[in-house]
Amino acid sequence: MKSIKTTWCPGCGNFGILRAFINVIEKLNKEGIEKGKIVVSSGIGCHGKISDYLDLPSFHVIHGRVLPFLTGLKLANPELKAVGFVGDGDQYNEGIEHLIHAAKRNVDLALFVHNNGVFGLTTGQMTATTPRGKKTRSTPKGNPEYPINPLLLALSSGATFIARGYAGDMKQLEELMYDAIKHIGFAIVDILQPCVSFNNTWEFYNKNVEKLEKEASDIKEAIDIILSEKIYTGIIYRIRKDTFEESLGILKY
Amino acid sequence: MDYNICFAGAAGDGIKEAGVITAKIFSKLGYHSFIYQEYQSLIRGGHNASIVRVSDKKVRTHRYYYDLLICLEDYIYKIHERRVKGEVIYDAKFQCKGLAVPMTEFVREEHEPLIFRNAVAIGVLAFLFGIDFEIVKKTFFDEYRDKAEADIILARDGFEYAKDNFEKIDEVEKIGEEREVYSGNEAVAIGMLKAGLKNYYAYPMTPTSPILHFLVKRDDVIALQAESEISAIMMAIGSAYAGNKAATASSGGGFALMTESISLAGMAEIPIMVVLGQRSAPSTGMATYTAQEDLYFALNPAHGEFPLIVASPFSIEDAFLLSATLLNLSWKYQTPSILLSEKHLLESYETVEFSDIRNEEIEIVRESKGIFKRYEITDSGVSPYAVPPAIVKANSNEHDEFGITTDKAEIAEKMYAKRMRKEEMIEREVRNLEPYFIYGRGEETIVTWGSNFGAVAEVADELGFKVIVIRFLRPLIIPNIKDNSICVECNYKGLLARIIEKEKGILLKKILRWDGRPFTPDELKERIKN
Repeated sequence: MKSIKTTWCPGCGNFGILRAFINVIEKLNKEGIEKGKIVVSSGIGCHGKISDYLDLPSFHVIHGRVLPFLTGLKLANPELKAVGFVGDGDQYNEGIEHLIHAAKRNVDLALFVHNNGVFGLTTGQMTATTPRGKKTRSTPKGNPEYPINPLLLALSSGATFIARGYAGDMKQLEELMYDAIKHIGFAIVDILQPCVSFNNTWEFYNKNVEKLEKEASDIKEAIDIILSEKIYTGIIYRIRKDTFEESLGILKY
Repeated sequence: MDYNICFAGAAGDGIKEAGVITAKIFSKLGYHSFIYQEYQSLIRGGHNASIVRVSDKKVRTHRYYYDLLICLEDYIYKIHERRVKGEVIYDAKFQCKGLAVPMTEFVREEHEPLIFRNAVAIGVLAFLFGIDFEIVKKTFFDEYRDKAEADIILARDGFEYAKDNFEKIDEVEKIGEEREVYSGNEAVAIGMLKAGLKNYYAYPMTPTSPILHFLVKRDDVIALQAESEISAIMMAIGSAYAGNKAATASSGGGFALMTESISLAGMAEIPIMVVLGQRSAPSTGMATYTAQEDLYFALNPAHGEFPLIVASPFSIEDAFLLSATLLNLSWKYQTPSILLSEKHLLESYETVEFSDIRNEEIEIVRESKGIFKRYEITDSGVSPYAVPPAIVKANSNEHDEFGITTDKAEIAEKMYAKRMRKEEMIEREVRNLEPYFIYGRGEETIVTWGSNFGAVAEVADELGFKVIVIRFLRPLIIPNIKDNSICVECNYKGLLARIIEKEKGILLKKILRWDGRPFTPDELKERIKN
């Protein structure tokens, strides 16, 4: 492929996400899924550059709009594997409506959220997941808002695969991404991603993330895991429901 | 033969449906018809009117004065009184001048809801015009199939009552083969299907929702309600990226939400078509009334420069033709197009004959070794279109020939110019697509655009004007127009007139209205004479 130089900061959590995904593509390739059938879309922000770094069909769209793009893609060609890369600002701020509705429809796609709790590319403003009290460029006195809980939102909206990953655990992340793509239905992996320049959480996450031993057996258990004080990583909940494509009668699995 | 019949009542009285059924009854006998639907933004009560004009000649507009008013509510009569120049049929439940028909009584006897009074009225109307009841029966059946029974029973009650109590107004004979009656929205939908539409997404908004309602019933297209207009257009872009012809529609407010994505489609060279159905604005305006206030908005909807095609149909038949043409052009030149219309054209009905237009398929590359040169620099500016499983990379950022992000000046200069070169090709093609339409002959000229054409053409016939109706607005190709010609538009400033004045260095007499109502020939004639 064309060699494209990455422009992320040295030490950025995005490298781990990119590496893990490239390994997943290789694995899918070996299983006979050709590269041209894995379509990637990314939004605006540091994460968005990932489209350039992959030799897959891709569309680097506008801020917040990855999900409706991928929905339209699937409704035109349901046999494609659709993979969205989005940022927390991208998906949880500007594109929040689409998260709810894509999850509600259970469109068959995998959504990977580079969640670093800050707007990186615009040099450090707060996002929907910035902790309360955190000082950012747009909240110099500390963030006066409470952060949203994206996985709780995704779960209550009807997502059928809910996971949390960590950019510092590539091996686990690779497995999560693979399982999310293999899952039939709407899969979200919220990936904790340190931003070395504006929200360096490497140390905090290295100390505080904990692998979930067993995924939830029902939605109530999933809620408990998501609301837990502990930062669990792994597949939290999954369930097989009719996808949007199945409900519309355009694809059978 | 030329009658202007008005059904008037409250929302929930089935006024709109009565108008459509009436037009279809006459069309079965070979007559031409036009229906103007006026309604308020509410579900029950208020005031709705359906003005049906039927004639043995082609009609493109309703008239101001009524030869017959069918009035279903007492408080409605006052609104229409000054327009009545013929008979009035009304429900005997209230006092009025004219022919009382016990509509409510008939409906109660059949234990049907009051909305069925419209069927009684249609039965009366059929008798007054000397129409065979079998035609009425068949029209109801064609329209409502197995649900037509109650309508037919009540229409017969009305028919028999009229036979026993009233004199006929006319003996309408069959003059030709059955004609087809379509709304502007239906014509747009059928036009897009003709051009190969496969995916359609929209968020509900007057006056374009009926396009969605029409398409969701079909099996040859995936039509869906999205969570917002932003989502609708992005879904269309997703489907087009995957190789399917896709479109969306809205009115000004929803269109405003789509504009960032229109710019994206321009940059990434994704063919999508957007229907912009104008209605009275700014903001929510008068949500169910017509206007032509968004011309400049449609011409310049989004940030940056990119080729954009904008055209406005002047009749329901033209709406069919232009929607198919624009969808084809979008694909040929890989850029967004906008069908700019208005409530009056989209929600009115007319007997139509659709011309022949085909789906112009372009060549689509579906495989590649490595990354496909999707944005190859070409002389024409048009690059090969590729879709997955070809490795095709699209981008909202400026990009190189492979679709990879760039900020290099020399690449940006070439890529930007490549896109813009398509404008020259588009203009050459549009010159051959009837960018404007000339109607009639006369010393003096009336210029107009959109649905005004109906009323303008009729006045021009009578007073001896030549009519120039502009169809393509971008690229805009204006013929020579004499100084001091008349320009008719539904906006405050004369938006098209100002463009023409500037381009041609002339001054136009502007006949404008911005009260949400379309021009009728009667009103227009008065304005021209004064």
